[in-house]
Amino acid sequence: MLLVLSEERKEHLGFLTQVDSAVVGEFGRIAVEFLRKGTNPKIYEGAASKSKRRKLNVSSDVIQHGVEGLTYLLTEGSKLMISEIDFQDSVLVLGFSEELNKLLLQLYLDNRKEIRSILGELAPKLPSYHSLEWRLDVQLASRSLRQQIKPAVTIKLHLDQNGDQTTKILQTDPATLLHLIQQLEQALGEMKTNHCRRIVRNIK
Amino acid sequence: MRFRFCGDLDCPDWVLAEISTLAKISSVKLKLICGQVLKDLQGERIDYEKILKLTSDARFESGDVKATIAVLSFILSSAAKHSVDSDSLSSELQQLGLPKEHATGLCRSYEEKQSPLQDSLRTRSLRLNHLDSVSWRVDQTLSSSELQQVNEPLVHLKFTVRDGDRGVMEPFAMSMSAEKFRVLLAELRQAHAMMKTLS
Repeated sequence: MLLVLSEERKEHLGFLTQVDSAVVGEFGRIAVEFLRKGTNPKIYEGAASKSKRRKLNVSSDVIQHGVEGLTYLLTEGSKLMISEIDFQDSVLVLGFSEELNKLLLQLYLDNRKEIRSILGELAPKLPSYHSLEWRLDVQLASRSLRQQIKPAVTIKLHLDQNGDQTTKILQTDPATLLHLIQQLEQALGEMKTNHCRRIVRNIK
Repeated sequence: MRFRFCGDLDCPDWVLAEISTLAKISSVKLKLICGQVLKDLQGERIDYEKILKLTSDARFESGDVKATIAVLSFILSSAAKHSVDSDSLSSELQQLGLPKEHATGLCRSYEEKQSPLQDSLRTRSLRLNHLDSVSWRVDQTLSSSELQQVNEPLVHLKFTVRDGDRGVMEPFAMSMSAEKFRVLLAELRQAHAMMKTLS
């Protein structure tokens, strides 16, 4: 599966041919750092002034586009999990030197696993279980009726979503609670059926 | 095997595994660490430095220290939860493989602090909200736009409720006429009498 790059992207990445491979390596490192921790525009300014010192004279915009192009290559490649050959073919379109192609391929292969794990964390998550508190009460009397016996279980469910904690308060009578437990045990038991076992075996 | 301190259920595997870690410390040091863990369970701050010093002889790694604290917390809080007396706790711990002196030391610390521990666990039980304070005021309405001579008493009540989750105080105010207030008072007195017969 080949990566399709738009004309604009090819133009941005074309800048990389004008610099030597050490600089491209540096840009690759910056791109991976941005993927890990988020972008930092000051780095572009620093790189632009460094290039002025080396008499290359490129603006920070061009550097930004170059780094963003590299980031796009890395994230799209890691997302689609393309093979080495496909990555090399996609990069060939840009008309880089052999050395540059090898550098980019190495950058992709080294960081592929880490980028995939970062991308995995971006998927939307439902609130997940954190902890549970419960209490068993018996209602003995109310304003309308004395001499009752009405047991009730009060449950406080602590949920965790992306670091925010929320709580849900529920109340049930013991019969419903037993039914709930029975249904949950049945759900756990489903994992042991042949159907589920076959699927799990095939995924592994 | 069913254990009383686990609520008549099987002992968890991780507790069984860490009993041998407990046996590596001397029984005197174990008793001191128990004291620290009991302080933590009652809500006071735990002195981690002291525990590190006590376990330094046995050359514990940080994972072992944390495991020791975890297993002691579990044993002590579970025993208090199920109101296990210290002799049964001692014999059950010995069945799990804890040496006799360690078990006796642990149970002696437990016995000293069993009631305060159970009290603090009781206060930490689930409660939705607490009534913090009540304030009231009685007014006399003289007249209104509807009627020139009204002359009726009015009581204002303000309840300050502490929310269980966030601990913030929320005021809850209402005003009522004398009759309604009499009904409220009578009903609350009946509920209070019923609570007295139970406690």
